[in-house]
Amino acid sequence: MWARLAALVAVLLFAAGPVAADDLVSGLSTDLIQITSNFTGADIVLFGAIEPSEETGPAKAQDLVVVIRGPDLEMTVRRKARILGVWVNREQIEFTGLPGYYFLASTRLLDDIASPATLDRFHLGTSNLESTTKVKIDPDEANAFRAAVIRDRKREHLYWESPTGIEFLSRTLFRARIQVPASVPPGEYRAEVYLFQNGTIVSAQSSPLFIDKSGFERQVYNYAYQASFAYGFAAVLMALAFGWAGYLVFRQTS
Amino acid sequence: MELYLPVAEMSVNWAMILGMGAAVGFLSGMFGVGGGFLMTPLLVFYGIPPGIAVATQASHITAASLSGALTQWRRQAVDFKMGVMLLTGGIAGSVLGVYVFRLLRELGQIELVVSGSYVVLLGSIGGLMLNESIRTIRAARSGTVPPPVKLHQHSWIHGLPLKMRFRRSKLYISVIPPLVLGTLVGVLTAIMGVGGGFIMIPAMIYLLKMPTNIVVGTSQFQILFVTAAATILHAASDQTVDIVLAFLLVLGGVVGVQLGVRVGSQMRGEQVRALLAILVVAVALRLLIGLVRTPEDIYSIVAGTP
Repeated sequence: MWARLAALVAVLLFAAGPVAADDLVSGLSTDLIQITSNFTGADIVLFGAIEPSEETGPAKAQDLVVVIRGPDLEMTVRRKARILGVWVNREQIEFTGLPGYYFLASTRLLDDIASPATLDRFHLGTSNLESTTKVKIDPDEANAFRAAVIRDRKREHLYWESPTGIEFLSRTLFRARIQVPASVPPGEYRAEVYLFQNGTIVSAQSSPLFIDKSGFERQVYNYAYQASFAYGFAAVLMALAFGWAGYLVFRQTS
Repeated sequence: MELYLPVAEMSVNWAMILGMGAAVGFLSGMFGVGGGFLMTPLLVFYGIPPGIAVATQASHITAASLSGALTQWRRQAVDFKMGVMLLTGGIAGSVLGVYVFRLLRELGQIELVVSGSYVVLLGSIGGLMLNESIRTIRAARSGTVPPPVKLHQHSWIHGLPLKMRFRRSKLYISVIPPLVLGTLVGVLTAIMGVGGGFIMIPAMIYLLKMPTNIVVGTSQFQILFVTAAATILHAASDQTVDIVLAFLLVLGGVVGVQLGVRVGSQMRGEQVRALLAILVVAVALRLLIGLVRTPEDIYSIVAGTP
């Protein structure tokens, strides 16, 4: 996280340097998503504008990239193999540093926007996400397992990559729609917007987004983890109360 | 119709879950089994993580078996002494089972072990039951009387020490078989999320030679306590009990089980057994296919907070 912030600060400093570049402003339609009992996911909108500086002319090769990144999770990946006709989990690799949610929208294909080195430096795109493994392993193996995580997360709609996800409403005004599925991990998110000009980042902006369970959902979760014995007891009492009530109700009607 | 499950961290269609609870409850009331062997696979097919499915639906069995056991108790069809013996083994077994469950989860083999044990246990018991009930039905149709079961058939079980008299079961046997049976079923409760009725009932009939009419009530009495213990142990050791999911399952379950008891009591014993056997074999086959068929993706991912 700190390395990423430092990179961002570097970009901002660089952007504010002698070369007059276009200014970027952006905002999210909400900065807090509450997970309530009827939560089925959320749609948020990131909107913004590029304010052209006076010195630069109008026709430029400009590109935008929008990234929403959730809290890092520990991903345990297992690979199955067939043993005596049955599929069994064999190898296992644990990754740290991969986000629980990653959304990327851009105006074009990432590879057309900037060089692989630039994309890699700013960790843009699911293939450039930073990750570390707990134990040293063969890089080819690690790549295969990492690709499996990205494939799986995309299937679950937790990772998105959309090269046409940014819509221009006018020459300077843009918007990106972000879909957040119900299985999204709660935590601290960041929305980042990068303005590219001729393959280099000339401006960047970052804003926070919080996804949190609301009152009841959070309390249940906290009880389950902090007072787990009492929580289990409560679950049993509830079951017993219902079982008994069911017996009483049906005894009278029969 | 959507409801967010705070521990499973996903949203489900509550009407669907309620319906699953009711349907499984109905079968459980009809057959006198907890119904866990159906509920766990159903929840997993729906997309609930296996660990949460196993632990949470234990409370569904608790509710269904309290409801069922009370009804049976009113009919004087519970052997409490036998129940307590089975229960003593059951509690010890579920403590052991929760520990094994945790170990397997860390090793990444829990799904294989759960599915594998389902296939082996359900397949063999279902097959045996189906065979037996078809024979009985055929014999009844052709008019031949099946050989009468001797009341005092002596087997190796009668040679064991620590004998005890079980009045309601009209038995004088050693306490070792009920204790061992209880322990075995307790382990299964914790690992597979089942009450174990599908093993307990045949074992009580064929191994302990208890009278059929008190088998269901006694099994429900024992299952009630073992599943309650397993719920608490799972909640305390792995935090895999989702109380919102449990609430939906329980609510559907108590209604279903009462209806099931009524329908079941009007059916002939061998017909009930044949139907149960078909159901058990079908679930076993479905799980076997899942183990053998080439998966869509040979990689599987578990995400957790670091």
